Amino acid sequence: MRIVLWIMLGLMALYLIPVIKGPSRWDRLLGMNLISTKVIVIIILFASLYNTAYFLDFAIIYALSGFIGTIFIALFLAQRKRREGEK
Amino acid sequence: MDILYILSYVLMGAGVAFMLFGVVGLFKYNRFFPRILVASKIDTVGVLTLIAGVALRHGFSFFTGKLLLIVIVMLVLNPLVAHILARSAYLSGFEMETSEEEEEQD
Repeated sequence: MRIVLWIMLGLMALYLIPVIKGPSRWDRLLGMNLISTKVIVIIILFASLYNTAYFLDFAIIYALSGFIGTIFIALFLAQRKRREGEK
Repeated sequence: MDILYILSYVLMGAGVAFMLFGVVGLFKYNRFFPRILVASKIDTVGVLTLIAGVALRHGFSFFTGKLLLIVIVMLVLNPLVAHILARSAYLSGFEMETSEEEEEQD
């Protein structure tokens, strides 16, 4: 169980590379989205390690808010560029 | 009890393996659209298998019920975010020119 936790942390570090290096804004957003999924998995593993069910509420709320945040950033990025295209 | 224990470890191993494939997919493709397809899809599957593995360890309890809720949220929201990301990139004309030039050259 702990090995899986360490692998998740390693994966999060790996996903940081496209967030920093990523050629475009959308790569960065994709990297952030994947990192937030990893955070959810880590919360779930902690919850099962300590056998406490209320940790999972954090995971649910974090999942919802993380995804909604990414959605609106993506929508914001799309609108800004389209307006430039129309001029 | 042992069978469930081993099965949960097998499922969690499979979930981690899927996530590693997702990382490979993320770094293999240099263009954005294939990358987002592979990364988000395999990542969702990896998370779901891992959650299934964790759920096996707790049997029928509030824990598994909440895990089910997380599974539903992940199933609905992950593809949704990937779609919106790809759509916003597509609407902004990202990496559109290169693919057309390549088709003309073939």
